[in-house]
Amino acid sequence: MQFDDNVAHYWRFFLSGTMTTLWISWLALMLGGAIGAIIAHMRLSRVGWLRAVAIVYTEFFRSIPPLMLFFFCYYGISYALGLNLNPFTSATLALTLTASSLMAEVVRAGIESVGRGQWLAAISAGMTPLQVFRYVIWPQALRVCLPPATGVYISTLKDSSVASVIGYIELTRSGLLIRETTGSSFDVFLIIATIYFVINYGLSLCGGALERRFRIVH
Amino acid sequence: MYQFNLSATKSYMEVLPAAVVTTLLLSGLAILASIFVGIAGALCRTSNVRVLRFIGGAYVELLRNIPLLIVIYLVYFGLAQLGLRISGFTSALIALTLNAGAYMTEMIRGGLAAIGKGQFEAARSQAMTAPQIYRYIVMPQVFRIIYAPFGNLCIGIVLGSALASIVGVEDVTSWMHTVGSNSFRYLEAFLMAGAIYLALAQTINLLRIGTGRWLLSHSPSATRQ
Repeated sequence: MQFDDNVAHYWRFFLSGTMTTLWISWLALMLGGAIGAIIAHMRLSRVGWLRAVAIVYTEFFRSIPPLMLFFFCYYGISYALGLNLNPFTSATLALTLTASSLMAEVVRAGIESVGRGQWLAAISAGMTPLQVFRYVIWPQALRVCLPPATGVYISTLKDSSVASVIGYIELTRSGLLIRETTGSSFDVFLIIATIYFVINYGLSLCGGALERRFRIVH
Repeated sequence: MYQFNLSATKSYMEVLPAAVVTTLLLSGLAILASIFVGIAGALCRTSNVRVLRFIGGAYVELLRNIPLLIVIYLVYFGLAQLGLRISGFTSALIALTLNAGAYMTEMIRGGLAAIGKGQFEAARSQAMTAPQIYRYIVMPQVFRIIYAPFGNLCIGIVLGSALASIVGVEDVTSWMHTVGSNSFRYLEAFLMAGAIYLALAQTINLLRIGTGRWLLSHSPSATRQ
């Protein structure tokens, strides 16, 4: 099989697609992390209905295919609420919802990793609950959260390829467009697959390094 | 103002069962096939032959880091360009199996790694044959370790099967898209299809939890721990 030279002429397009993919996934990870942190605190709350809401939230987004969320955020919201969302907003919303349910579990594990005795000790030292979180729980939880958070970023990067179906021009959509102009599918998708692989494999190596660095010896 | 009207999807209800069957068939076949791929992959990764170990490792890393959608496109468009014409269903099944097989490989490898070498030696010194060792020593322990991630993986496969609708497979997601674009009832269609996926995923989840309870009450080591 001969590699199609035409495809290589579109390297700028591949590059901008890669940047867009990295950017939207990062955005979704940050927004999802913020929402996920709130959900995680609700999940660990002593108030029963807050816990219930948090469980339903995470289980719901864990049980819905990302593709359907993209459809819903793009078409569903447009028709139901009369809002005209552009592909970028819809894709960010769908990715954020998926990422937030994953991040909720990550943050919950992080907070639970800090022993209960520390909470009691801090309270008995006269700290307010907010101070306990700020100075005792969160700094330690963050170390535990970082390695799995890179896993969520990888998963979000992979999910972001689905944004191509609602017409958002990220890496996969760029590939589909290049495929239409050059007519060579295999080459284009091989390049796309390589780009995703390099990014995600690099990230997973970083995650592994973080895990080794932050390992807490009990 | 938008009028919520679930009965608007009524005229599409008669094609829904076929869509559900397609989703079930695709995910079921992918689960079965990926178990075999996973066993083969795990045997490769733990093999004494270096080349096999490398192939196993490369397979896992490649498929875990490339989005499933890209794998589907590679199989669907790529093989067509190379002259192999296969249906959307077959290419989605191949792609799903390849993708899930990588996760199965890691899962089974992790399960096997948890069994100490000493157990094999002890079993062999009791004159157990290799099939006996796997049947009575390895499998019961590995099953205990992997049933939970296996459940999550099955949910992942069901959710991943939704991507098959992009290459023309008429599954539940495709049904939702058809209803939505024909009747502009995306919200209702989403709720219907979402409920189906939710039911499928939570059924697997409950089975997983049930298995865990069953294992706990039938565990010879439960009192020891």
